[in-house]
Amino acid sequence: MRSAKPNIFIIAFLITLLGILSIYSSTFQKEGRLWEDIYKKQTLWVALGMIIFIIISNISYRRFWDWTYPMYAAGLFLLLLVFILGVVRLGAQRWLKIAWFNFQPSEFAKLTTVIFLARYFSKKSPNEITLSSRRFGIFRGILLPFVFVAIPMFLIMEQPDLGSAAMIFFVFLALLYLTEIRLKYINIFLFAVLFSFPILWRVLKEYQKQRLLVFLNPNIDPLGAGYTVIQSRIAIGSGGLFGKGWMAGTQSQLHFLPESHTDFIFATFAEQWGFLGSLALLLLYFLLIRQGFIIAGRTQDTFGKLLACGITLMLNLQILVNLAMTMGAAPVVGLPLPLMSYGGSSVVTTFFALGILVSIDRERAVF
Amino acid sequence: MIRQKVLVTSLVLLSLLLVVILFNLQVLQGRKFRELSRKNCIRLIPQQGARGKILDRKKRVIAENRLSYNVMFLSQNTTDRNHDLERVAKIIGVDSKTIRDAYRRGFIASSVPAVVARNIDARKAIRLEELKSELPAVVIQFNPLRDYPYGKLACHLLGYLGEIDRWRLTKMADYGYKTKDIVGFGGVEEEYDYYLHQDEGGLSVEVDHRGRFKRTIGFQPPRNGIDIQLTLSLDIQQIVERSLDGHKGCVIIMEPHSGEIIAMASSPSFNPSIFIDRSPKQLSDIFNSPDAPLINRSISGAYPAGSLFKVVVAAAALETKKINSSTTFICDGKTVVGNKEFLCWDTHSLQDLLAAIAHSCNVFFYKTGLLLGAQTIHDYAIKFGFGRSTGLDLPYEINGFIPSPLWYKLNKFKKWYDGDTANMSIGQGYVLVTPIQIVRMMAVFANGGYLVRPYIVKAIGNKDISSSQQKAVYLNLKDTTIKYIRDGLRRVVSDSAGTGNVLAGLSIDVAGKTATAQAPPDKAHAWFSGFFPYQNPRFVICVFLEHGGPGYYACVVAQRIIEGMISGGLI
Repeated sequence: MRSAKPNIFIIAFLITLLGILSIYSSTFQKEGRLWEDIYKKQTLWVALGMIIFIIISNISYRRFWDWTYPMYAAGLFLLLLVFILGVVRLGAQRWLKIAWFNFQPSEFAKLTTVIFLARYFSKKSPNEITLSSRRFGIFRGILLPFVFVAIPMFLIMEQPDLGSAAMIFFVFLALLYLTEIRLKYINIFLFAVLFSFPILWRVLKEYQKQRLLVFLNPNIDPLGAGYTVIQSRIAIGSGGLFGKGWMAGTQSQLHFLPESHTDFIFATFAEQWGFLGSLALLLLYFLLIRQGFIIAGRTQDTFGKLLACGITLMLNLQILVNLAMTMGAAPVVGLPLPLMSYGGSSVVTTFFALGILVSIDRERAVF
Repeated sequence: MIRQKVLVTSLVLLSLLLVVILFNLQVLQGRKFRELSRKNCIRLIPQQGARGKILDRKKRVIAENRLSYNVMFLSQNTTDRNHDLERVAKIIGVDSKTIRDAYRRGFIASSVPAVVARNIDARKAIRLEELKSELPAVVIQFNPLRDYPYGKLACHLLGYLGEIDRWRLTKMADYGYKTKDIVGFGGVEEEYDYYLHQDEGGLSVEVDHRGRFKRTIGFQPPRNGIDIQLTLSLDIQQIVERSLDGHKGCVIIMEPHSGEIIAMASSPSFNPSIFIDRSPKQLSDIFNSPDAPLINRSISGAYPAGSLFKVVVAAAALETKKINSSTTFICDGKTVVGNKEFLCWDTHSLQDLLAAIAHSCNVFFYKTGLLLGAQTIHDYAIKFGFGRSTGLDLPYEINGFIPSPLWYKLNKFKKWYDGDTANMSIGQGYVLVTPIQIVRMMAVFANGGYLVRPYIVKAIGNKDISSSQQKAVYLNLKDTTIKYIRDGLRRVVSDSAGTGNVLAGLSIDVAGKTATAQAPPDKAHAWFSGFFPYQNPRFVICVFLEHGGPGYYACVVAQRIIEGMISGGLI
């Protein structure tokens, strides 16, 4: 069987290229050198990401089994550090200033959590061949791993970054489902979570509540929280079948659309390239995700399989939630579109994750 | 791995759902969203053109445009709004509270300029423009406004300007008129609005999310309206209005051969600029005044013709040979028609045609009228242009009315008696005429038998339209008819007992006819209509004083006008 490495590399490269084009088109008109250079920065991040991709893909993924706990601890440490030293931007404390760039530890924490879960559920007892998770009860099967997931989740939620927190939770649920844990336990857990929603509602920040309400009806606050969704829908819709053409998107280039180069990059893209261009982009994402599930499917090793599934699910859910959010079909949560949105942490982490995928694929070939 | 398949399938389904949502947004609702995005970023900045000027026959300006300067304040361009407003207030000389209130009223958004002062004078506007670098938030808006350098002069002829009403809009929408357009109401402004009207031009610009200018997408230069040159003589109009001042009524002076209106005044008048300033008090005063100052009495008022109608009866009788120059009737102050006595205003004894015209003898015309019959009088009145509009190029001209026995039967269900004919013969009863019809009838005897069509507009832009305006009809009257009646009209003035003898003292010869039209229960209407100089007529005049008393008073007004014209060297 052919290696998935060139496929993944080419698809990821194409997506980042479209991303840079969109970032350039949405920022070139903004005043100041800071804005003009933003596409150059993204190009650098992509280059760095690709180097990391190549390095990681040449490291055996089994190494991550050994590094799980140090990495998990490092993730938690960085998240705590955000609370102490973090940079406050747009009302949220999500970034660490390291040398000349800002790093977003929550991106890294997502990945470490996935690695942790993959290892946790693929543990084997030394004297048996079967997975120990098959015999897990509700405590060891669900509650214990949930505690490990809940710690970074809680820290991220407090930043506040509801999107990333929810993402970790959804990946946890999906991975639970993929392991051999009995469905009955999962259902019990789900109900428990459902009943704790009213309590969670109280924990949410005011602006998060507002966003959720606005999602239900964006017109309740057209100039405030609903503004972004309305403008994003206008941007996407006005693209029509063929789009307005590159650099000709009025919504993004005249800055009616906020966050047009980060979370709402898809609206920028869809306005300029239309339905056909958007379909092409979605197709690229589909092919990328498909590669991930193919790798997961043909890997015999449980850790590798769960890790591949976890990474692919993480990417897929982020893409789906981000697209749904820009189209007004999901609440606005601060989630970047992997490989498209401007942001070093996201780009590098995504390439890191893709590198692990390729590494899993490579190991399979060795067996 | 059943569970993995379930998971992947549900993810694929979710993705397909997103594609459907995307298709709905972009393809099905694309048009709607594109319109919304266009509205987001495109602003139209209108620029007004100037309405066409109205000029007199020597191209002197009667109505023009002045630039009005409005001060607008764009608060996004300033850091210290109150301080800047204070400075503006100091420069234009109002207190800062007024200007702050105006700003508050006009404020829509910081990216939209709010008007803080209107109609400031040019010097202050220039002063503010000079301070542009210190007051970046101040924008001076130029706005052409109608200006009337002579105030009330010729106001009925000009008409006034106002925002288009619903009735006009439905009528004129096909010609490119829109709501909020300023159009003419009455007079030349309305009749020739199509030419005078300016086209609004403007810039369409692209703005960003804060309303800041990004680039110009298109520019349509505003088109100025076309100037209109009238046949009106400013000097004569001024004399006429001065002479008419204080009376209620109207004066028309027309060139008899072409039909050019030289002067046309109606009193009471109004100042058309109050429709520009739109002060509610003045407007309601005008609309509610019992004297109806907005009515142009020259064309929109129908009055009994009185003795002026005798000229028509005389012409009809001469043409139909019911009488000739030597026919006489005896006036003993009254005559009996049927079983009713009809009175003359004096006892004239033996009267021939010339004397009867000169003395305005009723008895002579009762008898002449009875010889003619009502239908013939009606037919000749129609021939002389009564009972229908003259075709003057001004709106709201009315037809007047000439009765006939048949009409009487059909509409009043009564038989027409000789008494009615007698009444009609002296222009009373149901006879209603407009002053412009009288002028035109009088012109027939001044120009030798042509019924002209009066007109007021000489040229549109540079194009002289006089030739298409002149539509004279030859009435085919006998030369002798015209000669006798001219003689009679001259004797009205020259005869020492003539009703218009007051005009005999003028240094030029005037011919004409007075009338005292009964209008019970009020005072009679005073009429005078004639032409001058007698030998070679260049002007036809009609003076009408509503409830002005005997015709003598109209003669006095005419005398003052002609005197003024002589001393002004205008004849």
